[in-house]
Amino acid sequence: MAGRLLLIWRLLIRGLRQHRTENVLLLVAITAATATLTLGLALNELVTRPYERTQAATAGPDLVVESGLTGPQALDALAPLATLPGVTEHSGPFPLAFLTLTARDTTVRVIVEGRDEAPAAVDRPALTDGTWIRAGGVVMERTFAEALDVHTGDTVTINGHPLQVTGFAVTAARAVYPQVHWHLPGGNLVEKGGLVWVDHRDITTLAGDRRLSYTLNLKLVDPQAGAQVVGRSTDDPRFRGWIFRSAGDIATSSGRQNRQAETALTVGSWLLTGLAIVGVAGIVAGRVIARRRQVGLLKAVGAGPGVIAAVHLAEYLVLGLAAAGAGLATGWFAAPLLFRPSPGFIGSVDVNPPLRMVVTATTFALAIAVAATLGPVLRAVATSTVHALADAPTPARRRRWLIWLSRRLPTALLIGVRINARRPHRARLVTMNTLITTTAIAAVLSILAQDDDPLNLGYSELPDPRNERTLQAMLIVAGVACFLALLNAIVSTWTAVLETRHPLAVARALGATPTQAGMGMAVAQLLPAAPGVVAGIPVGTGLYLFFDGERYPPASWALTAALGVLLGVALITAIPALAAARRPVADTLRAAAT
Amino acid sequence: MTGSMAVRTRGLSRWYGWDNALVRAVDEVDLDVPAGQTLAIMGPSGCGKSTLLHLLGGLQRPTDGEVWLADRRIDTMSERALARLRRDTIGLVFQSFHLMDELTAVENVEMAALLAGWSPGRARRRALHLLDQVGLADRATHLPSALSGGQRQRVAIARALSNEPQVVLADEPTGNLDTAATLEVLRLFEELRPTGQTLVVVTHDARIAAVADRVISMRDGTFADDSLLTGTGTGTVYGGVH
Repeated sequence: MAGRLLLIWRLLIRGLRQHRTENVLLLVAITAATATLTLGLALNELVTRPYERTQAATAGPDLVVESGLTGPQALDALAPLATLPGVTEHSGPFPLAFLTLTARDTTVRVIVEGRDEAPAAVDRPALTDGTWIRAGGVVMERTFAEALDVHTGDTVTINGHPLQVTGFAVTAARAVYPQVHWHLPGGNLVEKGGLVWVDHRDITTLAGDRRLSYTLNLKLVDPQAGAQVVGRSTDDPRFRGWIFRSAGDIATSSGRQNRQAETALTVGSWLLTGLAIVGVAGIVAGRVIARRRQVGLLKAVGAGPGVIAAVHLAEYLVLGLAAAGAGLATGWFAAPLLFRPSPGFIGSVDVNPPLRMVVTATTFALAIAVAATLGPVLRAVATSTVHALADAPTPARRRRWLIWLSRRLPTALLIGVRINARRPHRARLVTMNTLITTTAIAAVLSILAQDDDPLNLGYSELPDPRNERTLQAMLIVAGVACFLALLNAIVSTWTAVLETRHPLAVARALGATPTQAGMGMAVAQLLPAAPGVVAGIPVGTGLYLFFDGERYPPASWALTAALGVLLGVALITAIPALAAARRPVADTLRAAAT
Repeated sequence: MTGSMAVRTRGLSRWYGWDNALVRAVDEVDLDVPAGQTLAIMGPSGCGKSTLLHLLGGLQRPTDGEVWLADRRIDTMSERALARLRRDTIGLVFQSFHLMDELTAVENVEMAALLAGWSPGRARRRALHLLDQVGLADRATHLPSALSGGQRQRVAIARALSNEPQVVLADEPTGNLDTAATLEVLRLFEELRPTGQTLVVVTHDARIAAVADRVISMRDGTFADDSLLTGTGTGTVYGGVH
């Protein structure tokens, strides 16, 4: 046993050393797919963890209660809640006014919360810039300030009263902009808006003749208890018009901002997984063919199917593991850079990814490696020893209709058609490659085609950060998809060049020009790419519309994308094909003879 | 059943194709090779001698007939059992050497022993001993790409012997070698004789046949001639060259 393990180890190490370029390509393909999956998973972490951190850092409440009443009646109604059993700590009631704020000619809804200069026991908004409130000043929730492009020291107007922005802060007591749940006092119609804090002495002036609402922040013995702590039941007349928000509700509302982007990344990671499998399968298929003689030799000296499978799989599993680590690290560390969860929270994700993410990403990377390699490896195991030792190419299958059809074509096309007929598996991989890439591009076009519904904030409209995040996510997916597709196209062309160098050399010896041979190779890639592009446009559009959106991208966009992908494939494949076709014929024929 | 025969076949056939295109590569061959005998199988290209060797080594399945090797019937064996047989009982030498490019000479040689379950230490000692025997002790850590054709074939022969097989099957072992390298291989085969190993060599080379105990001529998948040559030939071959 030790001897066999030594042999497997030895072949593993030598294989890794000898095929560096292929190994790097495999590593990149699996890493890209794993990184995208990790991005999707990390986004979820990015949404939940920073809220938890912010809650801890700001002594965030477990339950926030807004009375349905206003003025002194609200204060009287809220006061007993602070001493209920199950409540450990409280702050407030703090006055609230549902007003409008104007900054840089933009007027939006705003919840104004009156606070003391001294920090409260529960919900102490954490300053990220500037200073805390003072008379005549205002502190803005950071996301809100960024959306309005307001800086500290600027002057904003609330209900016609100018106030100087003294700082920005974050809180866990309310969802981030624009999900702050602005509503009229006592009303249930919730609107989008922002949050600011002012000195409690200023709020009455700011509110003018509007009645003030009040909010109470509670810390509970059981943080999960939520509104149950006040003995509230459904349709309880005592609490009609009241608002109870648990920490979980607030986190969910804030997370809603990223939900579309998270879906885009998750679906995108499926697409990229497909691309990675296509890429890995292409490389592995070529590699297993190249190692056919080694399989024959191992069989001849008595290696059983297990040893042969182990020799092959070990290499790909090691690469899969390495790619899992690289993809996990890339996705985990890139996530906060690509997707700032929200400027409304403080802190970032943990330094180390959670164990379940490590397990998921590792399993995913290994699954790609195994899924792409198992077929070729099993075929290698089942290959006849004599056939493998002879390293004989798979004989071409005669297809009468194809021969009849292609003989009428120009030379370059004829060569391309015949090459594909010889390599149907490779042709299918090219089709899949372009199908998935075009799908990702079509999905991005579909996003761009949607009406970019702006946020209606009462009097002005602002861009919806949700749309921006979704587009950002899809652009990442499409970017990685194009990169992987480029990689796959180069690998596919190059393996085609290697596999067909002999017949092409013979064709050239019989009078085909290097351009005809090179163009034949390029056509061989382009022909199977065309159905992938044609199918990819409706698939990508349909995929996006399945999750969101209602408008199809204009036909001119789809046509441009399709032609662009085909042109890209043609360019990527023509260059190496033409370069290979210029190799002296004699060299190729001599190499094939030995 | 096979007595002291190292190799025995009965009605062994291997056909390719069908109807008018049927090729009888090996056609109802009966063969008995006693243990310790050196047998050379000669014949023109395409007469079926390589196919016969592949059938004897369990590398190919016969269309019909029986193959016995070291008292075990192998034509009905599973692939796994055949693999076990090859690593324990058979040594194979090929015309194209078939060394693993990734492994050094000594690693190539010890491969069969490692697969046969030998400990790494024992396999390495045996491999070094064999490389010394074939005159390549100083090339033990060289990759095959750094060796000449003759040296590669000597490594391949050492590898075939590393698991101490009862039967060595060699397919055109000098087919790709120049005269000097061919003589090196001849010398090695001659040195094999006292070890009691059975050697079956398929060859075009009359000099190889000259070191054999017995020569079989094949034509169209059948034996055309079978001659015992014990005690003759070797001296002539070497005498002629030296």
